[in-house]
Amino acid sequence: MPHHVFGIRHHGPGSARSLLQALKALQPDCILIEGPPEADDILALASHKQMQPPVALLVYAPEEPQREVYYPFAAFSPEWQAIHYALSQHIPVRFIDLPVSHRFARDKAAEMVNPPDEPVTTITDITDVSLSEHDVLIRRDPLALLAEAAGYADSERWWEHMVEERQDSTELFQAILEAMSALREEVDTHYPHHSAEGQHEQLREAHMRKCIRQAQKDGFTTIAVVCGAWHAPALQILPAAKADNDLLKNLPKLKTTATWVPWTHERLSNASGYGAGVDAPGWYAHIWQATLQPDSSNTLTTRWLTRIAHTFREQGLDISSAHVIETVRLAQTLAAMRNRPLPGLTEMNEAVQSVMLFGDAAPMQLLQRKLLVGELLGSVPEDTPQTPLQQDLAQEQKRLRLKPSASDTELVLDLRKPTELERSYLLRRLVALDIPWGKGGDAVRGKGTFKESWRLLWQPEFAICLIEAGFWGNTLAVAASNRLISQARDTASLEQLAGMVHNALYANLPEAVDSLMQRLETEAAISSDMLNLMQALPELARLLRYGDVRQTSLEQVAQVVNGMLTRICIGLPNACSALNEEAAEAMFKHIQAVQEAINLLAEDEFRVQWTRTLHILIDQQGLHPLLAGRCCRLLLQSGVLDDAESARRFSLALSTANDPAQAASWVDGFLRDSGQLLIYDEALWRLIDQWVGGLNADTFQQLLPVLRRTFATFTAPERRQMGERVKQGQGAMPPVVAVVSDRDTTRAAAALPLIATILGLTA
Amino acid sequence: MSENNQAQAVLRQHAETEFAHELVALREQDNHARPPNWQLSPWAVRTYLLGGTLKGGIEITPKYIGNPRLIEIAISTLATDRALLLYGLPGTAKSWVSEHLAAAISGRSTLIVQGTAGTGEETMRYNWNYAQLIAKGPSQDALIASPIMHAMQHGLIARVEELTRIPADVQDTLITILSEKMLPIPELNTECQAQKGFNLIATANNRDKGVNELSSALKRRFNTVILPIPETLEEEAAIVDRRVASLGRALELPAEKPALAEIRRVVTIFRELRGGVTDDGKTKLKVPSGTLSTAEAISVVGSGMALAAHFGDGSLTARDLASGLIGAVVKDPVQDSVVWKEYLETVMKERSAWKDLYRACKEVL
Repeated sequence: MPHHVFGIRHHGPGSARSLLQALKALQPDCILIEGPPEADDILALASHKQMQPPVALLVYAPEEPQREVYYPFAAFSPEWQAIHYALSQHIPVRFIDLPVSHRFARDKAAEMVNPPDEPVTTITDITDVSLSEHDVLIRRDPLALLAEAAGYADSERWWEHMVEERQDSTELFQAILEAMSALREEVDTHYPHHSAEGQHEQLREAHMRKCIRQAQKDGFTTIAVVCGAWHAPALQILPAAKADNDLLKNLPKLKTTATWVPWTHERLSNASGYGAGVDAPGWYAHIWQATLQPDSSNTLTTRWLTRIAHTFREQGLDISSAHVIETVRLAQTLAAMRNRPLPGLTEMNEAVQSVMLFGDAAPMQLLQRKLLVGELLGSVPEDTPQTPLQQDLAQEQKRLRLKPSASDTELVLDLRKPTELERSYLLRRLVALDIPWGKGGDAVRGKGTFKESWRLLWQPEFAICLIEAGFWGNTLAVAASNRLISQARDTASLEQLAGMVHNALYANLPEAVDSLMQRLETEAAISSDMLNLMQALPELARLLRYGDVRQTSLEQVAQVVNGMLTRICIGLPNACSALNEEAAEAMFKHIQAVQEAINLLAEDEFRVQWTRTLHILIDQQGLHPLLAGRCCRLLLQSGVLDDAESARRFSLALSTANDPAQAASWVDGFLRDSGQLLIYDEALWRLIDQWVGGLNADTFQQLLPVLRRTFATFTAPERRQMGERVKQGQGAMPPVVAVVSDRDTTRAAAALPLIATILGLTA
Repeated sequence: MSENNQAQAVLRQHAETEFAHELVALREQDNHARPPNWQLSPWAVRTYLLGGTLKGGIEITPKYIGNPRLIEIAISTLATDRALLLYGLPGTAKSWVSEHLAAAISGRSTLIVQGTAGTGEETMRYNWNYAQLIAKGPSQDALIASPIMHAMQHGLIARVEELTRIPADVQDTLITILSEKMLPIPELNTECQAQKGFNLIATANNRDKGVNELSSALKRRFNTVILPIPETLEEEAAIVDRRVASLGRALELPAEKPALAEIRRVVTIFRELRGGVTDDGKTKLKVPSGTLSTAEAISVVGSGMALAAHFGDGSLTARDLASGLIGAVVKDPVQDSVVWKEYLETVMKERSAWKDLYRACKEVL
């Protein structure tokens, strides 16, 4: 047989080990791998000494960088090992999958017919199918059938058990081939193909066969073909070339470019949404390491559990060697009970939780991040072709005529001009990616809000940051959005989230705004810190009231505001109990701010809810008098309390039985920042006037110091005006008259000619 | 009265009596290896707890509904002669599982020490027959073995209920028993060595963690299995439905069996508040201070049925449930009532099919 097919699973350490053994035994003179042929040119970089897996091959369309496909590789990926083997043996290695350019062209054609709602980001082997759910599942994960037959609930476990953790790999590939042949027959008869999907699979396999024939034609005699196990049967026997060639004739194409980008273990894991991902890359790396040191006397289990113990110790959990011993025993008994030769990851996790952690699942999260997934970040050589993000930045810089320079320059942007607005977007997006090319960005003092001032300084390390940022996305907008969204997942602080919404708005990232608003809503729901909620509300209310030039979806904002307000109204009475002076001051400001926000929104529903809350608040026992005073005032103003009721409360609060400091605080709350209002608001004036008038001399004298504390905070002219109004008696005379009556006619007459000139009254 | 009648008059039967026929059938068909002194192999114990059908169509009822892996861990623990600690919220079937494990493994679930604040060392070790002691001095005859000592002598499973309620110094008596597998009797200058098959199942609840926390030395001798609250709505509704039905029979309530829909609403409320998120995963919620266990859901439905039967028209309505619900959720009058009000206003109000329950709850509030 001139060619040998090795069916593997992407990212299977057992597959990798078996494959290496098989390759060493076979000594092929050419290796063909399921992968994008576009990347053939940069394959040699894989053995560069700066290349550290995990890395990914990125194939994208340079004209439309949002069309992208990643092919991730870890050290334990069989494909990666095959590439390395080929490069070290100096034998040719080629990628034989259907070129990505065809897939892009096909996607594009499909989009022309029905435009997608979301940008297309394809990671290999993701499928979109419209069959019944079970059929889809089988199509997506055909191994589930085999696993089910073997009594496993989950195909990943089954494969791991049967292939990846197997110690003896003789005839493994033959067995896989047979199993897959049977499986494909079964699936093809019972689970019909989604037409487009099936067609694509046929194309891919046809292309792979074509490449195998080509390699035979090129004179290679021992060809090793490495492909996903599912494809193995289709490549085993080569039918006549004509059918395949017909199929592949005249396929549409789109220009593509390939490059290497650094990858992380986290992105290899299933949790990241990667279709061919694995549950625990860290565990696989561990199995692979064990493969590299076969003579080590410790077993896989013991070493893994010891590593777990070390990880816990680093985190400050006390784990003794005795714990490890008991964990190993329990894991082995569990494996025996489940008829397995070796404890798998599940058994070990369960044993760890039961023995080491007192049954507590929370510390397992530590393992998830540190060990099971692992925090490994790959790196790529410097001479790797440019990533799309770098290109995007270069294009933007050119378009907006903003050249990077190593000297510190100042830039003032006038946001009314479209180009300058876009420059501001660019700088802000870079900041969101942690590339602070421009610093500042505040509104220029004294020149209105439409001008921003920046300091620009390009640092060489930004280039590296840009490569690293490449995995957030291929354009600055997409990358910045993704980064903000992922950051938002890690924070629970409402203030930070509100700040991030602000940033996203100013950097014109509508997608990020949507997702941040969702986060904000979630966090607002569980936050029990009223101050936080009340702090975030005014900003959102402004956004809702005045709309947004940047077209944020207002519905979402309305929903969040509504939810926050409801929660504030329910929680406020509790939050206001037992406050000290300082806390009451802060709460005073927030209540005022919420009141203003509600005035701004001018929604009856909100207002009713809010006044009802204030009403509950005002009668609350032990409410700080400062707040009680303010609530009374707000209710008076909104017309919920009438004059008589307010007067009653006023005199109640200032009864001599009260502690003077408290009474003073109440008046302070009632009247703070309202000097002008007191002068001109007839009702308020009458209220206080009547109250003072009703006091007898003794009480008045006792209360005088208390009142003075508030009235002393009014400005001198205000106090003078009040005094004069009082002099006019009983507030009968309107205040305007009271002020005007003060005039000096002689001096006024002297100013008249000038005023006439200014007003243009003189001929 | 014949023995049979007597057995029927007993309010609650031991597991090994009630399910004797299942244990016999399992033993007959069990051909796996048994650890020394075990009545059944670990595989058969698993079937006994999780249910299944034996050859010949004998049905084994499931004793524990939930994650089978937890039961596997528990059985494996006992097979490796480590002690087992079942841990969890009140009302998650800890004692129930412990009883059935002991019944299946040793054929006897009655070697039990109930932990209380007043449990003394002699309850854990041995006591003296003082008449004998005074008459003849210390001797084996004067010694009264505790259930644990008895289990050691005969290679059986002993049970300790509510371990964390036992004072710390008394708890530590267990250390020697669990690590050296022997109990010294200094008065007689002798010791009691555990026979093969001896082991200990303790239960403790999460909420009492602070009462008498286990010393690390003792903790290390246990493998812990946390019994969780039921995973899915379906699972929990099924448990509540089954228990409510049997409760209604026991109390002879004339009310008709509540509709599953009503039970599902109660279970949904419990699950949502407990988990801090609505079932559709869209809205976050605050979590009240109470445990909101399945057992409490059962009692809410139970008391609703009693209300309906004695004061209503016999069919369970939202009004009958409302007061029970609030009683279960609002344990702390300040914090919990905020949680409950928020839940009413942000979740319940929005569900069109829940209007009756919303109104009923608003009335009671």
